[in-house]
Amino acid sequence: MRKEALCVLLALAVLLAAAAGCSAPRKSSEHLDDYVFTLKYRDNFNILQLTDIHWNANTSATASKSYMDKLLKETADHITATQGEGSKIDLVELTGDMFMLTNTYHVKTFIDYFEEKAEEYGFVYTAIWGNHDRQGLYNPNWLGRMFAKAPHCIYFEPDDDVYGRSNFVINLTEDGTKSTKAVWMIANLDSGASFSETEFYPFRDYDYIRPDQTEWFLAEHAAAGDDVPAIAYYHIPQDENEKAWVDVTEKAADYKNKFFKLEGFADNGSEKYASDFIDRAKDHGLVAAFMGHAHNVDWTVEYEGVVIGLGVKTGEELYFAHVDASSDDSAVRAGLESTGIDENFDLIGASLVTLTGSDGSFELEHLYFNERTGGDFVRWVKW
Amino acid sequence: MGEMVMKMFDRDNFVCPSSGSRKAGLVSFACLVFLYVITAFTFMNALYCFSDCVGSTVAGSADIALRDAMRSVPVFLSFGVTLGGLMICQAFFRNESPDILAKKAKKHAVITVAIGAFVILYTVAMRFAGRYLSLTEGAPSPFYPLDAMLYALLFIAGGVCVLLYFKKYAGSKPYNGPSRPLARGKAGFFRNLFVTLWFLFGLYGFCGFFYSIFIVDFSHGYLPYTLASMFASLVTFLSFAVWELCYNALKPEKRGGAMLRVSLVCLGVSVMSAVFYFVALKFNLDGPSNVGFGLLPVAFSASVNFATMISVFTPLIASVAGLLRSLSLKKRG
Repeated sequence: MRKEALCVLLALAVLLAAAAGCSAPRKSSEHLDDYVFTLKYRDNFNILQLTDIHWNANTSATASKSYMDKLLKETADHITATQGEGSKIDLVELTGDMFMLTNTYHVKTFIDYFEEKAEEYGFVYTAIWGNHDRQGLYNPNWLGRMFAKAPHCIYFEPDDDVYGRSNFVINLTEDGTKSTKAVWMIANLDSGASFSETEFYPFRDYDYIRPDQTEWFLAEHAAAGDDVPAIAYYHIPQDENEKAWVDVTEKAADYKNKFFKLEGFADNGSEKYASDFIDRAKDHGLVAAFMGHAHNVDWTVEYEGVVIGLGVKTGEELYFAHVDASSDDSAVRAGLESTGIDENFDLIGASLVTLTGSDGSFELEHLYFNERTGGDFVRWVKW
Repeated sequence: MGEMVMKMFDRDNFVCPSSGSRKAGLVSFACLVFLYVITAFTFMNALYCFSDCVGSTVAGSADIALRDAMRSVPVFLSFGVTLGGLMICQAFFRNESPDILAKKAKKHAVITVAIGAFVILYTVAMRFAGRYLSLTEGAPSPFYPLDAMLYALLFIAGGVCVLLYFKKYAGSKPYNGPSRPLARGKAGFFRNLFVTLWFLFGLYGFCGFFYSIFIVDFSHGYLPYTLASMFASLVTFLSFAVWELCYNALKPEKRGGAMLRVSLVCLGVSVMSAVFYFVALKFNLDGPSNVGFGLLPVAFSASVNFATMISVFTPLIASVAGLLRSLSLKKRG
């Protein structure tokens, strides 16, 4: 009996030592520069947002890659046609839920694919955590390492005091290095997954951008320069999307808005957990925030000076809306009228942001792209 | 405690004590363990595919769920053939009377062969129909669906061997241990339902513990939750394994006394696991979705923590049920 008790105590001591041995997370405020990547800015800098690709255990990687091949080619051709030779996709923002319920095979195939395409089209890409990217038969740290070591992927995952696995910024500077001033800032935030309100609470709430993430962003922005316009990309919509929607639909607010809202935003939904990110960042250069998460929504609105919108879901995995042009549903009709589309289509594709000047001006287009046997369905709709 | 554990593993207390069948008993036990492990992995694969289909259905895209389910039929049925193999092995392990053994093993062998054959035919048909772009289209493994066909072929061969065995040697081998009475009627139905669910939760617990070694995050301040989650999965698996592999393999006359002791130990461990889990969760409220979300396939969105509840409450329910049963048996004398 004494021996057994000794063994248990020894095991506990080893565990405590292991726990105590873990180094304390480092302070982000003392390492602000580590979170900054740089790219060379030019007018007509193109950012393609692909969101909620959702490769899962059922996904045929071959079929999904075939869809994305066509999507990328269509985007590259569109950019060349509208902006002229020499223009290209500069940055691809993968705004979360790239994976759900999958394994290392899919992850490796996915990253190999984007590496190949990055080489082919000359872009770099970023990976932003969605709630489901953590839900696979792999360690989330391994996924982070895979992105971090991919040559064309911009990704940073420190063990720091900022909430989320990965928060970083890409400063677009005049010469593409940190030695010149930032012209634009692209912030990439991890909006988390979900959490239980208490240990006995049987449900989980969607996560939100936490106050310390906002503080970190403000510090990074101050370091880049107070006059630098910024765009934020993350996965889960924050409370402003719903507030703007209520204002528009129930209070007849005259906000510029467009595209489709065919389901809820799937945000946290509780005032108690409303994020302060957009509230505070809008006074510090934030001109736009783009996210994903709700597949049947790409509704975009200008709210308190910030363009806030969900990207168009990419690919045919998990779920998406079949838009029926003859529908009487008011939400479908509003979307159809705002986009001018008058035929049935699926709400999948991509979103393109073009930075047109250093004064914070940009253009936004949504691409609805459906594979069809008699010829693919392609619609570009401007914001 | 030590003495009790030794007694539990004393082969003289088990249902196949004679020298001739002890070897067979150990071989069937080894096969049973091996097949249990393989069944657990195929179960997790199937659960992943199934959960994704549930996600599509709940989100209103039943057409996508159907498309995905059709693509993953070989994944679901790989679990089926492995389960068939496990059942055959369990029939041998149970060492029941020759006619019951032959009946059970042959039934499961026929089912295994039939499912395996269906996997092969289905895959070939889907390939010809163009639903699989190639036989090595990939996902969930690089050689899917070819690997599923080969896997099915392996189990077909195993099933055929079992059938041939009974054709040649039926009745000549001394599988003459005691047979359990078959539960019939409503009680039998609920008993089977409970055992089936318990078995699936046990598989889930095994996979949860095994995969957690590789997939959970020990960093980012999640260590307490990680350990608690691993412990809960292990206890879920053990709660099944102890009863099924140890208790049920005891001679009937040894079971009565063992049940109360096993129940009390299991209850103690289950309570400890539950307390540890909830204390750890208190400090990592986002733990389930940030650390071990891969272990919660059914929780496809932010909703009920089904999987967590299964891990924490299954051992508690099983041990309380065992305790009540043993007390009731004791009362009846």
